Amino acid sequence: MFCEKAIELIRELHRMSDGQLPAFNEDGLRQVLQEMEALYEQNQSDVNEAKSEGRAELIPSIKLRHCCLLRNQRCVTAYLYDRLLRIRALRWEYGSVLPANVRFHMCAEELQWFSQYKKSLASFMRSLGGDEGLDITQDMKPPKSLYIEVRCLKDHGEFEIDDGTVILLKKNSQHFLPRWKCELLIRQGVLEHVVS
Amino acid sequence: MFIADIRKDFYEVVANQRVVLLVAPDIDALCACKILQALFHCDQIQYTLVPVTGWQDLGTAFLEHKEQFRYFVLINCGANVDLLEMLQPDDDSIFFICDTHRPVDVVNVYNDTQIKLLIKQDDDLGVPSYDDIFRDEDEEGEDSGNESDEGSEPSGKRRRFDEGAVERRIERQRAKREWEARRREILFDYEQYEYHGTSAAMMFFELAWVLTKDTKDMLWWAIIGLTDQWVHDKITNMKYVTDIATMQRHVSRHNHRNEDEENSLSIDCMRISFEYDLRLTLYQHWSLYESICNSCYTSCSFKLWTLNGQKKLQEFLADMGLPLKQVRQKFNSMDMSIKENLRDVIEESSNKYGMKDIRIQTFGVHFGFKNRFLASDMVHATAALLESAEKDDSETDNFIKALDALSRSNIDRLHSGIELAKKKLIAIQQTVASCLCTNLILSQGPFLYCYLMEGTPDVKLFSKPMALTLLCKYLLKAFVLSTRNKRCKLLPLVMAAPKDVEKGTVIVVGIPPESETSDKKNFFGRAFEKAAESTSSRTLHDHFDTSIIELKTEDRSKFLDALITLLS
Repeated sequence: MFCEKAIELIRELHRMSDGQLPAFNEDGLRQVLQEMEALYEQNQSDVNEAKSEGRAELIPSIKLRHCCLLRNQRCVTAYLYDRLLRIRALRWEYGSVLPANVRFHMCAEELQWFSQYKKSLASFMRSLGGDEGLDITQDMKPPKSLYIEVRCLKDHGEFEIDDGTVILLKKNSQHFLPRWKCELLIRQGVLEHVVS
Repeated sequence: MFIADIRKDFYEVVANQRVVLLVAPDIDALCACKILQALFHCDQIQYTLVPVTGWQDLGTAFLEHKEQFRYFVLINCGANVDLLEMLQPDDDSIFFICDTHRPVDVVNVYNDTQIKLLIKQDDDLGVPSYDDIFRDEDEEGEDSGNESDEGSEPSGKRRRFDEGAVERRIERQRAKREWEARRREILFDYEQYEYHGTSAAMMFFELAWVLTKDTKDMLWWAIIGLTDQWVHDKITNMKYVTDIATMQRHVSRHNHRNEDEENSLSIDCMRISFEYDLRLTLYQHWSLYESICNSCYTSCSFKLWTLNGQKKLQEFLADMGLPLKQVRQKFNSMDMSIKENLRDVIEESSNKYGMKDIRIQTFGVHFGFKNRFLASDMVHATAALLESAEKDDSETDNFIKALDALSRSNIDRLHSGIELAKKKLIAIQQTVASCLCTNLILSQGPFLYCYLMEGTPDVKLFSKPMALTLLCKYLLKAFVLSTRNKRCKLLPLVMAAPKDVEKGTVIVVGIPPESETSDKKNFFGRAFEKAAESTSSRTLHDHFDTSIIELKTEDRSKFLDALITLLS
């Protein structure tokens, strides 16, 4: 049946509803576009025939194919747009450098979009808060204190903080650090915030 | 060097720096660490906390962190060994050591630049004076200078001067030899016995008090640290009572602030109270009967491993008028009428049975409706968590769990610790009973010796140092009360238990003889070292307490023989 490939693309995204990015389904997309091309050509020839020979009975099939084309278009654009939204969320979760396995799942154009998004977010952040700019990706929840105690859950090796100091993150060591330096690692699960 | 003013010379020095805390695995150190962490949180001093289980761990941790950190705080480790030689630090590393292990190594005492001891100078130390141990090298240089001057005199007088110079040189050499012999003797006397000083947790609480940042939580941790020293028999009774009095002053100061007729504290707030409570371990979280059976003091006094002892216990309970059914159920479910005067009733009856010290001065804490704990309960629970013998947990995992259990927000963990402690105490009592009944304790001449075979139930529990030491002390107390041999009563005890079956090692612990007025000084540290050297046994002196070592099972007999010859 028509439009089945397109629905499969949507289903693929729906399966990973927690915001993960599956690999870019280039095959599926190509098949949908091929289907659309085939439908379009058939429609073109039928329209020409209908116009030249006045065969009104071709009109319903033209209408059907047109609806399928619109449906395919809608599905494909939804697929691409949802992926972009997920990629945008990645910037907020992982920071400006994405881990390799995530980058592997993105196609070249998506990577380009990501770097454009990064640039525009960075220039926006620079424009806030006077000269220095404001990093709005920090402190997603209102912080309770400047410094927090964190415990290291796995051996992460050396961790360099902005001012150049290096901390060795060994399993089960505890550290008392400024909040903004630890947030990223807490989100990644390397450190655990200790509440006492 | 000793720090004179802990606020100026320690706290203000680290105030804007990043510090590494290296903490030893005992309860006093954990409590001290919690107090220091709370202070650092107040003033936002960044730190990194690394648990260290032995000298090797300490060395590794130091190497890992020496590039990034300048200030190291060592809690309950590092005072009794020449730290600079062991770690070979750069000149700008500074060590703050708060350690209860005595004697403090003389190099640590007299180093002015890198080692700062957070220990009170009058804390029963007896450090030899500087001149007795260190001799300036300049004196020798001057003398040789004089000689060369004198040598340039005209030859007539030369011979006489030469004779004089030779005599003086001989005299100097003799004096030097004498000085060195005296030095060796002084150092030997100083370093022969190992003992413990004031609790580290109390030191840090005092720091908090001086900064007026002390809270009830910190006070409670300080009390737990002190009680740990008493439970594990590290300090004398006198010292314990003196320190309790100090803590009592702080407790009254804290309690005085808050309550009066109109503003009473909410039930959830923490209240610490002085208790003259029973010496029955964990009795409020157990049944009274179980607690009496498994507490060292009562079990040894009744001799509960004998039939006679069991009968005496039944008599004792009958004497107090406590029905067996009540006594065997959970303490919280006992009748209120029985619980009300329990302490006095028990004290009266105990006096009849020869137990004069059934009550001991201690503190209890109370927060919320359900949570009441005595300081000794906390010590036993945390110690059980720290040394839990689960296969998957490494030692640092246990350290973190035990550290968490000390916070008031982790009551579940504390309760699981109490359950583990109950199992541990039952295991200790059963092992003591079986050792005595099967005569496993042998007199080797200068000391008693006991070896736990591999198949003994719960032997895995006793592969840990604190549990084995506790077993050792209970066993010695029980043995002294049950033996008829007068000479054996004055002997110390050495105990060995399998530590790691795959590697084939045993853990060996030595404790001083049991007596009422014992000063808890332990000479086994040096004795073990010498015995290992003389027989070239494969030993590992990794533990911070020098009287606990690891030994290869095959070398056990020759090590013992060497120890016997050494101590005879």
